[in-house]
Amino acid sequence: MSTTDQSVDLESFRQEVRAFLETAPTPEILEAGRKTTSVFAPFKETMAWQKILNDKGWVAPSWPQEYGGTGWNIQQRYIFTQECNRRGVPPLLPQNIQMVGPAVLGFGTDEQKAEYLPKMLSGEDFWCQGYSEPGAGSDLASLKCRAESDGDDYILNGSKTWTTYGHHANKMFALVRTSTEGKPQQGITFLLLDMGLPGMEVRPIIGLDGEPEQCEVFFTDVRVPKRNRIGEENQGWTVAKYVLEFERGGSTFGTFLVPAMEQLHAVCDTPDASGNRLSDDPILSYKLAELDIDIRAVEHNEKRVNANLKHGENPGPMASLLKIMGTEVMQRFSELQLEVAGLAGLPLQNDALVVGSNVAPIGEESALLAMPYYLNTRAASIYAGSNEVQRSLLAKAALGA
Amino acid sequence: MQYQYTSEQSEFKDSLRKFVQDHYDYESRRHLAKEGNGYKAEYWQQLAELGVFGLPFAEEFGGLELDLGYLMGVAEEFGRGLVLEPMFPVLALAGRLLAAGDNAELKNELIPSLIGGELLIALASEEKASRGNPLIMATSVKAEGGELVINGEKHAVYAAPQASQYLVTAKDESGAVKVLLVAADAAGVTATEYQTVDGARASNLRFDNVKVPASASLFSGDAAASLELVIDEALLVMGAEAVGLMDQLMAITGEYLQTRKQFGMPIAAFQALQHRYADMYIACEKIRSLMWGALQTVGTAEFAESAAMLKAEIGKSGRYLGQQAVQLHGGIGMTDELSVGAYFKRLTAMDLILGGRDYQLSRLIKIRKAA
Ligand SMILES: Cc1cc2nc3c(=O)[nH]c(=O)nc-3n(C[C@H](O)[C@H](O)[C@H](O)COP(=O)(O)OP(=O)(O)OC[C@H]3O[C@@H](n4cnc5c(N)ncnc54)[C@H](O)[C@@H]3O)c2cc1C
Repeated sequence: MSTTDQSVDLESFRQEVRAFLETAPTPEILEAGRKTTSVFAPFKETMAWQKILNDKGWVAPSWPQEYGGTGWNIQQRYIFTQECNRRGVPPLLPQNIQMVGPAVLGFGTDEQKAEYLPKMLSGEDFWCQGYSEPGAGSDLASLKCRAESDGDDYILNGSKTWTTYGHHANKMFALVRTSTEGKPQQGITFLLLDMGLPGMEVRPIIGLDGEPEQCEVFFTDVRVPKRNRIGEENQGWTVAKYVLEFERGGSTFGTFLVPAMEQLHAVCDTPDASGNRLSDDPILSYKLAELDIDIRAVEHNEKRVNANLKHGENPGPMASLLKIMGTEVMQRFSELQLEVAGLAGLPLQNDALVVGSNVAPIGEESALLAMPYYLNTRAASIYAGSNEVQRSLLAKAALGA
Repeated sequence: MQYQYTSEQSEFKDSLRKFVQDHYDYESRRHLAKEGNGYKAEYWQQLAELGVFGLPFAEEFGGLELDLGYLMGVAEEFGRGLVLEPMFPVLALAGRLLAAGDNAELKNELIPSLIGGELLIALASEEKASRGNPLIMATSVKAEGGELVINGEKHAVYAAPQASQYLVTAKDESGAVKVLLVAADAAGVTATEYQTVDGARASNLRFDNVKVPASASLFSGDAAASLELVIDEALLVMGAEAVGLMDQLMAITGEYLQTRKQFGMPIAAFQALQHRYADMYIACEKIRSLMWGALQTVGTAEFAESAAMLKAEIGKSGRYLGQQAVQLHGGIGMTDELSVGAYFKRLTAMDLILGGRDYQLSRLIKIRKAA
């Protein structure tokens, strides 16, 4: 904690955040937080929370202040996320603030900024990410969704897939192919479009937990105005890379894992009717202790990277490390949480997981999430650069190859 | 030393394989898991006709009286095809426990209709606090005026929504384990039915002063040893199912690695994935070996140990294999639309029922200390 801005009193900042969080979220928003079974929280309530944060001016801590950022330093940002997770509000969906926002901030015209940024912040628009395609996953640059020039428009043909919350979105930011010349990265363009344009079709995909979270999106002669382009034609790869680097030190797995682990400990320490505690079992206690170590390491990895950023260091290979460790410790946490739930993890309870459904869980409330969370968390080592790809990047950087 | 199915067992197993291939493509399985009561009565009858339900029972009841290897063969094929018909809970658990009892009248009444496929019966043994140990239970049974009165709660009773009768474990005043036959519609029984993550049907059952006649008790003495033994033998059947699941997952994943292309080549070309696949192969073979090893100890003093080892390993290697099959498929592995996820979920559920890895490890420690 020694490397922070001396001018900011972090403790009083924490108190200010806490005081706000105490009263700001509605019961529905808190219920959505409790019923979050993946990185993508329940849509409606999470967007309601985004609006409240926007009204407070706290929705986009990483953005420049002139466009709605908070002006907080990186430690304050970490504290803010910590306190949000401690309070149990749903995490904001990353698409608006962390994904498309930075692209517009970095490469948009003034006109585009004025048109799009305010509604990204308020949540009036919800943006989905149209990058991946059936044939282009880890090898994103091989994407084929074609944008043909036609006067002032592009005409799109092809498809996107794994589009998270595509069925909730009214806007999409997409990478499309505008040229097949040269290296594949060189013929890609970053495009903004409305969902529901003529020729577009959205098909939700049912996930392992039985719920639709991702979508397929099909384009047949979909007309998109060229003024919706961000950056130059064929410069889309540069825009996408800029977005990835925008939030240096943005890794916050620790802020989630620490309070989640505290809750798991509490469940294990609570005596049952005959006075037995799960934590009396030496084998379970051993596993809890091992996980405690890993979570502590994740937390300090993140704080250390943040602290050193101040000295102008680039997180470099640490970004891959944080992603690998954060997601894999999260997966281990999800395994242990399921083991603790035991038999109570078996029933499918999709109805009880709907916010406002008032369907009582079968068994303990603490076990309700265990299975869907376990299943959904398997995705964490697949998305945002699979952990195999991240390990290759890390090795390459570490070996200096 | 048996390390593979005998030719007679293989023959029987092959007939089941054909049955599964004819009836179980993934799409129809997906529907069956979601709709109605989660199995087809018509298939159940066909399985009866194939002789599956007669396998473990004595000839006096009309059974085939064949050794456990046959049932394992069936389970392996059921695993490979993700079959939902509740053979495991009805036959390997409840049916075999019934056969182990000494209540001739009950056996004469029930076993023939089990064999014929008319009766579905479920074993209600697990409780929240038992954490896998079948001898830890809060459910009680008391003699009251010539009747037996049952109170307690059982969790995750597989096949209960499909069964008309339950075998309920309970402790009497002396602390002895009793197994009681209770009709599903008996007064005082409350069932919370649900679909499980692995596509099956189960219930949480509450018994509030449920009364049964003294003749509904399956064992005259303490049933503890029989209960443990039957469950351990069922773990062998589960082990075989796990092997079937894993073999199929390996085949599906191997095929995907060779056909999915990224960066202009099949992803099988990436060494990281080759090594992962090799580790999955190792995980699969570990369970296969532990399974055959355990079968060899049936009827010996080492059996409990080898059954616990097998189940503990399903909780580790089975889970690993399922997780990695999803991982190597990337996004498509996370969907309900591909069978990979269903295999993964069945392997996940296996560790939660009948004592997970932690419980089995604690058992192994105890067995070693006692030796
Ligand atoms: C829950 C979830 C949400 C998502 N949301 C979105 C979204 O909103 N928008 C969007 O555009 N996309 C989204 N995606 C897609 C995601 O970006 C892709 O799944 C990811 O890029 C991997 O691509 P793939 O699924 O095609 O797998 P593939 O790239 O086909 O990978 C299959 C396997 O091969 C491995 N592999 C691939 N290449 C290599 C290599 N060179 N070396 C070693 N191993 C390799 C992978 O690690 C993986 O294990 C989402 C995915 C998930 C699971």
